[in-house]
Amino acid sequence: MNLFQALAYFLREASKSLVRSWKSSLLAVLTIAISLFVGGLFLLATQNLSARAAEWKDEFQVTVYLTEGTTRAQRDDLYDLFDRSFVREVRTISPEDALATFRDSFPSLSEVFSDESGEMPFVASVELSVDPSKTESLDPWVESLRVNPASEMVDDDRDWLRELGRLIAVVRGIGLGVGGALLVAAVLTTASVIKLTAFLYLEEIRTQRLIGATEFFVRGPFYLEGLLQGLLGGLLALALLALAWFGVRPSGEASFWLPLVSEEFLDLPVQGALLLGGAASGLLGAVLSLRRESLRGPESD
Amino acid sequence: MIRFFGVTKRFPGGQTALRDVSFDLDAGEFVFLTGASGAGKTTLLRLIYREDVPSEGQILVNGRNVVGLPAAKVPYLRRSIGVVFQDFRLIPRKTVFENVCYLPMILGESVKRQKEIVLDALQSVGLGHRMNAFPRELSGGEQQRVSVARALINRPDILLADEPTGNLDPELSLEIMHLFAEVNRRGTTVLLASHDPGMIARLGGRVLTLDNGELVNDDMEEPILGPDPAESLT
Repeated sequence: MNLFQALAYFLREASKSLVRSWKSSLLAVLTIAISLFVGGLFLLATQNLSARAAEWKDEFQVTVYLTEGTTRAQRDDLYDLFDRSFVREVRTISPEDALATFRDSFPSLSEVFSDESGEMPFVASVELSVDPSKTESLDPWVESLRVNPASEMVDDDRDWLRELGRLIAVVRGIGLGVGGALLVAAVLTTASVIKLTAFLYLEEIRTQRLIGATEFFVRGPFYLEGLLQGLLGGLLALALLALAWFGVRPSGEASFWLPLVSEEFLDLPVQGALLLGGAASGLLGAVLSLRRESLRGPESD
Repeated sequence: MIRFFGVTKRFPGGQTALRDVSFDLDAGEFVFLTGASGAGKTTLLRLIYREDVPSEGQILVNGRNVVGLPAAKVPYLRRSIGVVFQDFRLIPRKTVFENVCYLPMILGESVKRQKEIVLDALQSVGLGHRMNAFPRELSGGEQQRVSVARALINRPDILLADEPTGNLDPELSLEIMHLFAEVNRRGTTVLLASHDPGMIARLGGRVLTLDNGELVNDDMEEPILGPDPAESLT
């Protein structure tokens, strides 16, 4: 029998077995689906957070708030520091521009700073757009901006991006840990289900061996059964993830965090990896359950 | 074709099923293996197709040392031996056709060829009309005949049969024996375990007699019906 015929036979037998013992098969499929769903949720969150972090890194900006009453020479010294190859754009924001932006952004608070008082609450600032590929060499430069007498304060996005990077790593780690633990449970469940099926057909397996079937033919249908259970579990997990994603997106508009973690669905390669992970865990469960001693009959062989 | 050298089989509980059994079977022989229940007939057959291994001694089948045969090669030994099991060993969830077709299928025969040879084998045991039935729908005798058809499907070098007519009425028993004789006439070595002295006396031929695990007799018996088993039945 060639490989194609063998696979067709395995597929027939595995499908029959899945239907025949559908309750235990469903248990294995659900266990795999739940573990992949939980792992997939974390992957969805880290994928979106990573994408946002990349965007923010691309928009990396340093804001220098200028000290009032500095001399022209001090200000020129500061502006000399802006003349660097990694500074893409320099935008000067006057106190009036800053006030107008504030009023646009927070209309309900626009009356707090009335024109009648004559006081200007904002100071002039300079926004520097920086090439992110050179951000690692920026520490001494930012420090030189901070100590310049013409700068009142320097805002640097990098601290926040570093924190975000750490958060993504933690979320990814938790996802891998929880998803991994659940996947181990899923593999063991699949192994138990396949083992039960194999024991159910122990006499049949012995007969197949006695009339000349090789281990490849005896075990093939069980391996494929495990693989199919895993694949179905993976498909179910993807469907649940898609449902959850569609369900969460509309309510995300009212939240800060939800859009961060749910803007895009899982990338195609990640979806493929989830399916393959399911299939591999099902197959692994079948392989574990069919170690030679598991299927040995009363006779030595 | 089959050679036993001082074969002893002891089970873990201490019971000895065979004691120092030695004999030769030449290619094309038709041999009865007889003895009372528990004499060791089934154990001897199981050693030939490597369902079990002897505690002592060596067994050669078709020139191959069965005792030292690696596990991976056992299926290929079994494909050259047709076995009619005492308890039929049919696969309950498969139809008669699928049961008989299993070996041709794993040997890679085309679907058309599978149908041809399975139908031929089933017709030879009078069950061509029951190929879509499941074993549970068959009588004991019919199941026995399916088991015979499955054993013969691959035209084996050796045919082992453990009480193959135990569940059959005399008329069907004769038909099955006729079939075995035909197979033997085509060159297959037949070793048939039976404790039916009437059948053995009627057919005659070489008879190995086991008693409490020992080979106590290896004689030629004159048939009541004639010198050739096939002729005796026709």
